[in-house]
Amino acid sequence: MTPQAWKRVHHAILALLTALVVVATLFPIVWMVLSSLQSTADLQLGRISLTNPRWENYRQMWANVRFGLYLRNSLIISGITTLVACSFSTLAGYALARFRFRGADLFGLAVLSTQMIPGIMFLLPIYFIFLWIRQTFGLPMVNTYWGMILIYTAFFTPMSIWIMRGFFAAMPRELEEAALIDGATMFGAFLRVILPLSAPGLIATGVYIFLNAWDELLFAWVMTSTADVATIPIGIRLYIGQFQNRYDLLMAAATVTTVPVVVAFLLTQRWFISGMTAGSVKG
Amino acid sequence: MPAPVMNSGPADRAPAAAGLGRRFTGFGTHRSRPHRPAGDWRTNRLAYAMVAPAFLFMVMVHLVPMLQGVAMSFLQLNQFTLRQFLGAPFVGLANYRAILFDPENPVRAGLAVAARNTAIFSTVVTVLVLATALGVALLMNRNFRGRALVRTLMLLPWVVPSYVVGILWSYMWHRDTGIINRILVDWLHLLPEKPFWLMGPNTLWAIILPTVWRAWPYVFIVFLAALQTIPGDLYEAAAIDGAGPWQRFRHITLPMLRPAIAIQLLFQIIQSVYAFNIVVMMFGNGSGYAGEWGDLLMIAIQRQSFQSWLFGYGAAASVLLMLAMMGVVALWYRIFRQELIIR
Repeated sequence: MTPQAWKRVHHAILALLTALVVVATLFPIVWMVLSSLQSTADLQLGRISLTNPRWENYRQMWANVRFGLYLRNSLIISGITTLVACSFSTLAGYALARFRFRGADLFGLAVLSTQMIPGIMFLLPIYFIFLWIRQTFGLPMVNTYWGMILIYTAFFTPMSIWIMRGFFAAMPRELEEAALIDGATMFGAFLRVILPLSAPGLIATGVYIFLNAWDELLFAWVMTSTADVATIPIGIRLYIGQFQNRYDLLMAAATVTTVPVVVAFLLTQRWFISGMTAGSVKG
Repeated sequence: MPAPVMNSGPADRAPAAAGLGRRFTGFGTHRSRPHRPAGDWRTNRLAYAMVAPAFLFMVMVHLVPMLQGVAMSFLQLNQFTLRQFLGAPFVGLANYRAILFDPENPVRAGLAVAARNTAIFSTVVTVLVLATALGVALLMNRNFRGRALVRTLMLLPWVVPSYVVGILWSYMWHRDTGIINRILVDWLHLLPEKPFWLMGPNTLWAIILPTVWRAWPYVFIVFLAALQTIPGDLYEAAAIDGAGPWQRFRHITLPMLRPAIAIQLLFQIIQSVYAFNIVVMMFGNGSGYAGEWGDLLMIAIQRQSFQSWLFGYGAAASVLLMLAMMGVVALWYRIFRQELIIR
């Protein structure tokens, strides 16, 4: 073989491998969407037809289980959590990146250590703390939006602090220095100079928080029981099990659940990927 | 602990700011000037105010409940004493003794099985995730048409909610009608008859693969970004010196990737030891038992706590698991501390 021909074969092999990886990676997602367009009977026989999609499933799924409620609850809880946790972690991340203060190292260490605690360990204590808050202050916490938002905010703030800290640390210090010379206060410099330039970092952190809040399962199971506040991981279980076996609707609901996060990801991926990799590449 | 590690701030530029006077003394990364006393209260006040909300939430939802969780592990906390919570009878180390050494205790056998599965599961998942991510990153680290699109598509599994991943794969693993058996047996004829995936020793693979499928794309993106920071001259110089592809990989690529590999290794270990969502959803949508080969520690602890009401045992097992993880992290830090210094 001539060198040119050899090079072409080499390229073809690489292209084939790439295509294989893409197909294998995407196949389960495609399978989920395909399955959501079949009838129950066909699925039970293991038949999938490509020619006759049953879009009806996407109408039925809202009536069979009150999925709209669960979707709304997930959107509200994840959305507000994202806003609150993003603000908290921006402030704390900036303080860690730019100020030396007593306890800064200890706080940084504590932020990372939270990732070491198995969630199951504080599930019951938090439940009892919530009961105690209700008894003492008359404020219900279990089965409420704000109870879930409080938990999720606390859960996803530490890693977000770490992402934002890395992001701020990479910004040139001259930005604030110039503003300070112009007579701004330190907080003013942060607010008017740094924050507007932080959109990519904020978006990356925000998407990170939203993905994680959308994904949370264990606390949602224990802390919510009524459909008024329960999130998707609770509602989606109702399509199969004791009373029915509607895999078609289950797959439709799974698709609907995946769509918001995929859209959020696709809209922001340009900033998200650079924001998420910036800190981790450097170590 | 990995705390000081990821400190990747720019070199301290304090001298440039010296002329700005007193107000500026608060600036500077703590890493670069560790021995100076912290700034005065006036400059620190802003820093404390900015940290305060996050700190308060972390105390409320991490520190206090964790300490209570540790306290629970010394109590006889079960369905009869649950209402007293921390007022339940104090039994010292009895919970620990029971789950570690008491051969009569059925909980101990269950936890031992779960610990074995978790050890196999997290080792295999971590190795497969890192190896797949590295291999595909090397494969994709070249210019071809549609690269940006492919990179985005590859991340999609990572965006799919983990409970959806569990539901979806348990449906795909189904013995008679599941697509995996249809491909393996009906189409490719790789196996003589359809195996049960969600029963027996196969369960381990049935829970490992979805976990790897969802986890590797993110690591891949990190590795790909790291690969792109390696200057091309290094490879050219090595090629001129007669280094083959394997030698270039071994002596340039791997050393340059070591910091990224170190961090991702740690995250993967923590994530897979604490794995819960995907696996729990694969069996009865979260209400089933994964069997002798699919039960993981977090799931076993959750079952002991919330189905059998053995909260004291559950808390003791959680504390032990956390201590073991701290040991793993300390070991990791000893091995990789050289990689984590920013040069």
